[in-house]
This record gives sequence, C-alpha cells and structure tokens, in this order.
Amino acid sequence: MNSRLRENRDFWPLLLASTASLVAVLVVAYVEYTPEWRQRTEVFRTYLKGRGAYAAAATVPTDVQQIWLPALDRVDRCISCHVNYDASISTLDDLPPLYRSHPELPYLAKHPFPTFGCTACHGGQGYALDEASAHGHVEHWDEPLLTTALADQYGLTRQQLMEMRCNTCHRRDDSTAGTDLINMAKEIFDKKHCTSCHGLLGAGGLAASDLTYAGDLNPEYLDFSNVEGPRTELNWQIQHFKSPQQIVTRSGMPNYRLSNDQAKALALLMLSWQRINYPPQYLPAPRKRPASVLPVVRDVPYPPPATAPLAQQGRYVFMNRGCNSCHRVGGGNLIGPDLAGVTQRRNDQWLTTWLKDPAAVVARSPDLQAWSHEFGDIVMPNQNLTDDDVKAIVAYMKEFPSDQATPGARPGTN
Amino acid sequence: MRARLSRLWRWITWTWSPASERESSSAIVENLWLHWFPAKIAEEAFTWRYSLWLGAIAAFLFLILVVTGVLLMFFYVPSTQSAYWSIKDIEYVVGFGWVLRNQHRWAAHLMVLVVFLHMLRVFFTGAYRAHRAANWLVGLALLLMTLFLSFTGYLLPWDQLAFWAVTVGTNIAKEAPIVGEGLRFVLLGGTEIGQSALVRFYVLHVVVLPAAVLVLFAYHMWRVRRDGGMAVVDPASTPAAEPGRVTPAPAKTYSLFGVTPGTTLEVRAARPRGDDTAVSSSPHLVRRLIFVFLAVFTLTIVLSLISGAPLEEPANPTLTPNPAKAPWYFLWLQELVAVTTLRVGNLTVSGGFIGGILVPGLLVVIAVLWPFLDRSPLHTVGRWFPRERRLQNGVLCVLALIILVLVLIGLLMRGPYWQLYWPWQHWPEPPQRL
Repeated sequence: MNSRLRENRDFWPLLLASTASLVAVLVVAYVEYTPEWRQRTEVFRTYLKGRGAYAAAATVPTDVQQIWLPALDRVDRCISCHVNYDASISTLDDLPPLYRSHPELPYLAKHPFPTFGCTACHGGQGYALDEASAHGHVEHWDEPLLTTALADQYGLTRQQLMEMRCNTCHRRDDSTAGTDLINMAKEIFDKKHCTSCHGLLGAGGLAASDLTYAGDLNPEYLDFSNVEGPRTELNWQIQHFKSPQQIVTRSGMPNYRLSNDQAKALALLMLSWQRINYPPQYLPAPRKRPASVLPVVRDVPYPPPATAPLAQQGRYVFMNRGCNSCHRVGGGNLIGPDLAGVTQRRNDQWLTTWLKDPAAVVARSPDLQAWSHEFGDIVMPNQNLTDDDVKAIVAYMKEFPSDQATPGARPGTN
Repeated sequence: MRARLSRLWRWITWTWSPASERESSSAIVENLWLHWFPAKIAEEAFTWRYSLWLGAIAAFLFLILVVTGVLLMFFYVPSTQSAYWSIKDIEYVVGFGWVLRNQHRWAAHLMVLVVFLHMLRVFFTGAYRAHRAANWLVGLALLLMTLFLSFTGYLLPWDQLAFWAVTVGTNIAKEAPIVGEGLRFVLLGGTEIGQSALVRFYVLHVVVLPAAVLVLFAYHMWRVRRDGGMAVVDPASTPAAEPGRVTPAPAKTYSLFGVTPGTTLEVRAARPRGDDTAVSSSPHLVRRLIFVFLAVFTLTIVLSLISGAPLEEPANPTLTPNPAKAPWYFLWLQELVAVTTLRVGNLTVSGGFIGGILVPGLLVVIAVLWPFLDRSPLHTVGRWFPRERRLQNGVLCVLALIILVLVLIGLLMRGPYWQLYWPWQHWPEPPQRL
C-alpha cells in the first residue's frame, strides 16, 4: 500500500490524451460539417441577398443534391455546387460562372437533366463532392471532366471534345446534328472503306484489329516511344492517323495523308467506341443507310516468292506496306486487281508514276475512274514509297509476267 | 467559493479514489468489463517499459476495428456490381463515412504491426517458456488470424488495388505442394476471383474471423492470469531464484465471485515478493487502460485526417496494374518470390514455392516448436535481452530486420515491371486515356 504508484502520476498523460482525442474529434466534426459544396452554396446565398433576391436566396438548398440515374449506373452530385444548373433558383444576368444555369441548347430538349444527368455528356466523377475529385482530374479516375483546358492540349474546342461522348450513344447514326467532327470522321471511315480490313460490330475484314470497342484500348499497351506531345491515348490515335508507320513501325495501315482535323476527328471517333451498355430507351433510333456490300479481307495471302535479289527486296516492300492485304499476284482480284501480268499491261514509266501517287493518276484518267468503280471506288492509298521501293516492286512484278495463276500464290501459302 | 470550485473540478475530472482495498477490489470483481483483471497487479507488470502495453494497444485497435467495421457494414454491399460504388458513397456522402473508413484502414494496418511487435516483445523477454508455451501458441494463432483478417478485408473495396493484391496473395498460396490448388479453390469459391470469392472473403472478414479472434483473445487473457500473470513477476525470474532451481509458486485460491460456493479455481500466484509492490487495479490499471485507449484512438483519427484509405479504379480482371503488389505485410514474401525465381536459359523455376511457402512455412513451424526447443535458463524469463539468450534474441532481431527491409524495398522501391527505383526517383508515368 506504500507504492509510489498510488500517487496520481498518470494524471498529466491522461489529461493530455483526453484533450488530444477531444480535439481530434472536433477536427473531424469540423471537416465533416464544412464541406466545399456547403461553402459554395453559402457564397451563392450571400450573393443573391447582395443583389436583393431574398426569395431566391431562401431556395438555395442546404444539403447534398444529386441526379440518380440507375439505368445509366450513375449518380451525379455535381448539382450540389452547381445548384442553379436548371435556372430554378435564379434567372439573374451575370451570375458568377459556378451559379449560371446550363445554356439553352437545341439538343437539350431531347436530353433532359433528370434522364441524362451531367457526367454522361461532360465526364467527371459524379459520386464525388469536392471539386478536384468531382472534376476527375485526380489519380484513379479515367473519365475526367471535358474542359476547355483539356481540349486545348489537342487543339480542339470543348464542344469538339465532347462530341466523343455524344457518339457513345449515337455511334450507329449516319450523322448526328451538332457533332460535325464525328460526322466528318464517319464519312472518312466510310469513304476509305476502313472495314475492308478492320472488323466492326461483327462485320468487316480480318486483316487488321477489330475496332468495335477501340475506345476501351488500354493506353498502357500502346507504344509511345515515337509519339510527340501528351502521353495519352487520344494523342496516340491522332498521331497514328497522321502517320501510321511513324508510330507503329512496319504497320500495314496505309498513310492516307489526313489533315490535322481529319486525324483528330477519327481519333475522337475511335475513343467514342466504348463498351457501355446503355438501356434501349437511351439509344437513338438507327438512322444509318444500308451500306453497300464491299469486298472485305478475310485472309491475307502471302505473295509468291521471288528469285532475283532486287525482286526479293520488292517482295519485302510489298508485304511490309501491306500491299498483299488488297492485291494478290495470281489467283484473282481481291480489294484491288490481281497483279500477275501487270508489267505486260502497263510500262515501267506508268507503274512508277502510279505507285508514287495513285490518286493523281486516277484524277487524270476517266478510264481508270470507270475501272475503279468495279472496285467500290476504292482508290489505292499513297504509301509514300521511295524510288528504290518503286524499282524493287516493279522488279518483283516482272517475275510474274503471265495472267496464269502462280503455284505459290494461293492464299495462305508461302 | 473555493470549495465549490474544487467540487466542480472534482466533478469534471471525476476522480475515483477507493477508500479501502476492499472497495477497490469490489470495483474490479463486480464489474462485467473489468472482472477478468486481477484485483491487484504487481508494479513490474504495470510499468510502461516491460510490456510496452503492446497487447493492450492491439486489443484496443481490435475494438476500434469492430466498432468502425460494424458501422461500415450498414453501408457496404458485398457484390461485384455494387461494392466499389458503395465505397464511393461511404467516402463522399455517408455521414462521417470517410473517417470511419480511414480509421478502419489505419487501425487494421496498425494492428498487424502491433501484434507482430507484441510477439517480438514476448520473445525478447522469454515470456513464452514452460507453462506459458500454450499461450505463445494461442498468440501465434492470433497473429496469423490478424494477418488473414487484414487480407480478407483488403479485397472488399473491389478496386484495382484490392483485386490484384489478392490475386498476388492467392497465387502464392497456389504454390503450396498438394493442397495449394485445392486451398485456393476453397478460398475463392472457384478458380478466379469473382463474386463467390468476394462473398467468401466478406463472410470470413465480418463474421468467422472476428468471432474466432474474440474467442481466442478471451482464452489468451484468461490464460495470462492462469499462468500467474505476466512473466516479469514469475517467481522463476526473481533475482533471488538460483539458476535451475525454481521455487514452486504458492497456489492461491479465489472464490468464484459468489457464483458457486467453494474455492475451486486454482490460479498461480503472481506476487512472490509480497503485496507491498502491488497496486490496485482500480483505479491504476483502469486509468492506464483509458489512457492507452485514448492515445490509440487519437492516433487512428490523426492518421485518418492526414492520409485517407486508397481507392483506385474499379477492379478490372483484364488489366493488371504495373506493378501489382501484395498487401504490405506480405510484401517481404512477394520480394522473396521475385528474387528466388530463377531463370536458366528458357527454364524458369518459380520462386513461389521458396518465397511463398517454404520460408513462411518454416518460420511458422519454428515459432510453434521454439518453446519446446529453447534450452536457455529459466531465470532469464521476464527480462529484456538477458545475456544468456543473446544468440536467439540476436537471430530474431536479424530476421525481423530482414523482414522490415524487404517490406520497405517492396513498398517504396519496386516500380513498373518490378524494377528497383530509389524512393526519390520518379517512376515512369503510365499513359492516360485523355
């Protein structure tokens, strides 16, 4: 009973610990009860009172607001800060940007807020309630808010960037009002007959990758070593459309010499093709005209072997540039004509001019225009061949003078 | 006025000072929550420096985990469709949800650490010898259960971090000979991590394992008293006792708190040196426990305010994050797996068996057998780092240090493709979509 421990020597530590835990609990309560959105609505209330709109100020909500969209698997709490999004609180002019209502846009009637919410078109993290997380410019959120700053990185406007989201629903439209860039991309996609090689929605060729869900490509699987600019999938797609071989060495995809706008449009189209299961009532009625039936590449035949060294070089170029995706040497037409005996039909001079710039030759010759009609109006893409490449290919062609099928030229054999 | 103020002060500070020893003992034995403590406790067992109160800290962490966990259960949905989004709701709109989740996460990490440190303390003080071997085994079981509790909880957010950490963990388990594949199948309810794995982990995490820990914890505490209190007050450890000659502990009997007549429960006496160095559990022990609880509680809150529990992208079985890491307390095993994987030409010998099964299996077997193999003199029991136990304490120090270093390497220095990076070096940024 004489122990010194009977003295109350734990008093100060205990007082310290209880004070510390009380402070900790108070800090937690403070953080909980002063969220960003509450401060924002408070500012709005004060602002409205300052402009004399007392009745409007009283209607500013004091709790979390959300648009719940079970059909889209989304909940958009954006409107906890953007409380006046539907002009239900105030219609005053010159409100601060956060409190302005959504502009009256022609397509808004068909896309009402209670059915579509915010993030379905704008991107961002609808679950979140603080600005950084809600706008989605944070780690571990793949769907950031489509802002002007983000669009600027690609030389696009915000509206153009948002066309990508429009097309997640409207992908089967032939063209959609208001999405000029996507419409342009769809036209190019049709004109260049991309589905001759690429698969799309269960149809199309097998020579190149299936593009049905091209927008779900994992950016980590892309090679960025030759890509200039931001290390993003959108930028990769833009650069790849402009110059496939520069991004993917030995790519079989033709270089269509697309303009910047065309490349951006196609890249946005690719990123819009995502696997998102929208319920049927959200999807627009299909308005696509029946596509003309075109030949598609289901098998890429190996070209017949060559003997002379220059011809062997020519065969290499022939395969490397993907010529064999469209042309066979003996065995009949594919996307393009059979090339066996081509050196008997055309002289070297003509072949050289043709290989250097096919479109120019077609433009000059009505006969060729008529002939290419047989091939679905597909004009051979300019492959930017060097003089050496052209010589080698012509040498290679010369090894197959007759129209007769060459034994080694059957599809699928080497 | 002065008297009033002093009364008010006493009322606020609520000082409990029992008038007699009997009153003090009654306060312990008549209270459901305190009756499992002894009425008096030896000063040596009461000090901070002997036990570091690690067991008490672990118990309070468990209490915090149970309370926050039960609250979280009201909001969490154990389905692959909803789990991730219910966590998002807990983070953003459930009242105090963010702090509950952060506190649960931090308390879980701390509990793994503290239980491990508690085991080290018991080893370094030789407190597992002789009749205490049984409680050492119970303690080992509690350590493994703590690890498994944390591991099952890791999957529940169903994000990339959860999914791939559990993938790494269960793939290591697969390397066990004969039983490995079957074990993984039973644990996951299939061959892949999906809905059945999630619900199994959930039930293990919220019912089976906590219940088992609670039962074992009760036994652990009861056993401490049955074994005569903490080892530091063991008669064998008193300086008077000669090496090799153990004074038999005088048996002491207690009435069964009036529940049944008679004095049948025999308990080893813990105080060979008389009552003069003992303190009453009420209020001294209780006050210290309150202090420890408040300190632990405050620590978890402060950590929760500083750093939140992570939540990555929703789980995606087709997209492996680079690098994919196991939970931190298994990272030393993942590190061993990675470095013991041998490549000779085209031949690859998986390190999964060595790093994932052999090393941890051996460590557990040695830990189980050690109380029966240990030949150090019994009078060293209850003292920190005695000379006679230099070798085995040294070996454990080195082992613990190796584990620590491997965990730190795995945690801080392993970047994409499991390449080594210095902590101050930047990893290459993964490309983004937009």
